[in-house]
Amino acid sequence: MTFLIDIENWNWADIYVIAGVGYSVVFLVLVLLILVYKLIPKILNIRIKKRLKKEGKEIDSTASEQYVAGEVNAAIATALMLYFNEQHDEESNIITIKRVARTYSPWSSKIYGVRNVLSR
Amino acid sequence: MKKFAAIYTILGLLFMLILPTMNLEAQSIAQGDQSGGAFFSGMAKFWENSGFYNFEFRQLLMIVIGLVLIHLAIKFKYEPLLLVPIGTGLIIGNIPLPATEGATIGINDEGSVLYYLYFGVKEGIYPSLIFLGIGAMTDFSSLISNPRLMLLGAAAQIGIFATFIGAVALGFAVNEAGAIAIIGGADGPTAIFASSNLAPHLLGSIAIAAYSYMALVPVIQPPIMRLLVSKKERVIRMKPPRAVSKLEKILFPLIGLLLTAFISPGSLPLLGMLFFGNLLKESGVTNRLAETARTSMVDIVTILLGLTVGASTSAALFLSISSIKIFLLGAISFAIATAGGVLFAKAMNLFLKKGDKVNPLIGAAGVSAVPASARVVQLEGLKSDPNNHLLMHAMAPNVSGVIGSAVAAGIMLSFFM
Repeated sequence: MTFLIDIENWNWADIYVIAGVGYSVVFLVLVLLILVYKLIPKILNIRIKKRLKKEGKEIDSTASEQYVAGEVNAAIATALMLYFNEQHDEESNIITIKRVARTYSPWSSKIYGVRNVLSR
Repeated sequence: MKKFAAIYTILGLLFMLILPTMNLEAQSIAQGDQSGGAFFSGMAKFWENSGFYNFEFRQLLMIVIGLVLIHLAIKFKYEPLLLVPIGTGLIIGNIPLPATEGATIGINDEGSVLYYLYFGVKEGIYPSLIFLGIGAMTDFSSLISNPRLMLLGAAAQIGIFATFIGAVALGFAVNEAGAIAIIGGADGPTAIFASSNLAPHLLGSIAIAAYSYMALVPVIQPPIMRLLVSKKERVIRMKPPRAVSKLEKILFPLIGLLLTAFISPGSLPLLGMLFFGNLLKESGVTNRLAETARTSMVDIVTILLGLTVGASTSAALFLSISSIKIFLLGAISFAIATAGGVLFAKAMNLFLKKGDKVNPLIGAAGVSAVPASARVVQLEGLKSDPNNHLLMHAMAPNVSGVIGSAVAAGIMLSFFM
């Protein structure tokens, strides 16, 4: 194994440098991710605005309009799901009894399925 | 059944009677007296190969530790998915084995089943696969919706670097200190990955310390949180996370992978797999693969990882002063990491507007014990305000802590390899 620092003859300055640089790099990576993720919604919004402009729709670009809480979306999705799940097919509202004529078969005969009570 | 038991009891008694004479016979055979006969020689060989003959007291102690871990997992439900395999592994790894040349039983005997199963730990395969599963089961939307909370995940990594300095001060070699430091990230797979590369001889102690402290998150963190966060701060309500689009969710693993891999290539095996797993989940076209990664695959790897890590922890390596030091460092680093996250959240509040303030409790979730520490934050928050749900907010520093600790492990590897 080759080491970036001399593992036998190190001094405390090396240790502090490693700790300091390491901690800074962790921050750097996450700060860069933050910056990218602050930027991405803005870029996506520009794209949406352009598309809406092309379609001739009005755009309200106030910050409060752009911010949609996740829980609002969840509530809308739940309401839609309940609405669509409880929807029925359109029915005629006329209740009829349709008689079905079946040809006799001993396989479905009631006589063989129930106990015959003896009668005098 | 009774007859069966009776026969075996008689055989057992006979064996006990023969036992003292057998030792004498074994000695006479060893001295060159061939009059013992084949029977006694066979029995003596059997006895020498048994666990009772090769038994050492410290192995019994390790078996007891294994039983304690299993007890904690079953009775108190402390990380049972990890502690049951590790506890069983500890028992398996400390069964006294005969010192026969060419034997292929123990985890260090080349050619044995355990040896090949342990290969995945030694070469850092299992931790990477665990990260694939974590990626496939983690929803990063809370982090994407409020990216500044990632800073808390970064702040909590102070535990790693403080432990590094502490480990060097306690007399560990610098590469060993680098491996021990990762316990401060409270991330088992990352700790195993780092120690398998930097200090394989300490792997057992480091893994058990990391997983023990992860299991003790609900015990260690709340007192520190209560100590550092005032009652007024505990009831701060945060704005609900904004809705995140599908495109943002797909872009996150790709951007995250490119960014972290270019800055800290050492973390590629872990973060590459984490982001790959997340891409499988978020792409929406690989549901079968994502489902396998987050269920069957991660379960199989957890079994193998837990069992072999436990089995690799032999008494000779584990029962030492360095293990005690590692456990001590682990506890301190965990406390420092928790405090680091909480204090950073308090510092952030100094610069934030009134409506945008963060609840400092979520800073404690910056340690990467997912989702245990986020759950602890939620429970602590509910104690102060039963209507204040902090879980979603706490998940952001929690998952960024996973990224942060993997980056830190990559940095340690790049310094010492």
